[in-house]
Amino acid sequence: MVTDLATYALTGLGLVFFWAGTIGLIRFPDTFSRLHALTKADNLGLGFIALGLAFQADGWATLAMLALIWMLALLAAGTVAQLVARAALSPPEEDEE
Amino acid sequence: MRTDFTKAAIHRTILFGGGWLALTGADPAALAPGLLVSIAAVWLSLRLLPARHPLVLWQVVRHLPRFVAGSVSGGVDVARRAFSPSLPLNPGWVEVPIDLPEGARAALGGELSLMPGTLAAGSEGNRLVVHLLDIDAGPDDVILREEAAFAAIVGQTRTGGA
Amino acid sequence: MTLWLHILVLGLLASLAGALWRVWHGPAQSDRMMAAQLVGTGGVAVLSVLAALQDWDLLVVALALAVLAALAAVGFVKAQTPDSAGDPEETPPPTGGDRRSRAVRATAHGD
Repeated sequence: MVTDLATYALTGLGLVFFWAGTIGLIRFPDTFSRLHALTKADNLGLGFIALGLAFQADGWATLAMLALIWMLALLAAGTVAQLVARAALSPPEEDEE
Repeated sequence: MRTDFTKAAIHRTILFGGGWLALTGADPAALAPGLLVSIAAVWLSLRLLPARHPLVLWQVVRHLPRFVAGSVSGGVDVARRAFSPSLPLNPGWVEVPIDLPEGARAALGGELSLMPGTLAAGSEGNRLVVHLLDIDAGPDDVILREEAAFAAIVGQTRTGGA
Repeated sequence: MTLWLHILVLGLLASLAGALWRVWHGPAQSDRMMAAQLVGTGGVAVLSVLAALQDWDLLVVALALAVLAALAAVGFVKAQTPDSAGDPEETPPPTGGDRRSRAVRATAHGD
């Protein structure tokens, strides 16, 4: 089935991006670079997984829910990245290790 | 001012109404409460975030493909760096004066955070503080191009620019 | 398909385990928070795949987790500000020092 192939390919790609995000989070040397990896990669990973699952959906209501989840994650990622970056830029006085 | 308000109310009704339809699967039995909820949500949102810069919807639509492409290449770029054994990173900061209303500047920062190599860390005065994965790669043009796109979305007229 | 989706869930959980390592080691609070954020997004992905495997109604749970993950980060940022209640932009960012910065190079179209 073509739809199954699309699911395999897209969800697999999503998984690769999730791993990229995690590896970046572990390997990158400073807080801000890690934030880059996290924001861009795992968001895209979720997008590809949602897209891949959409080919298995049982109706347009399911598609709408998947789209809603993705859009929410996208919006949250951009906003949260900016907020956390700013919080990391001016850490509180007694910042423990 | 009056038309700004009407426009914002229409945009937000579409947003919240669409959200309700997606959540309920457009179940006919849920339509009546959905109408009430949408009206309440629009009223509350207009109180919490008054209409100031109504969006030019066709500009948003025009901008979407470029955003999706930028987001994908952003993910690919960061994945390439993460998987590369030599870890090619050269991080640094740049502060960009952005001539946009406050909300649009924050939205621009959020979008840049998903584009390749850039990560916004809020703004200081009218300057957006941007972290770059590679300070010498110079995605400055991208920042300025995106700024022009957002200016078009909030209906600012610019001389020059795309 | 069922087998692949199970493998997919395991793969996602493995990547979440990596993120938990970063939660553990820090070193900054922000590092911990962003790793928790990855666990949030990954959790949404896992729940979506489980929804495809079992019952699409589980997508509602994924949506709820997505909302909660975003709010958790906002709560963290608010708690990090000096009076624990406000806007991270109320204190100006440190300038100079270890912040290697440069001016904007506008080549194409100016402002």
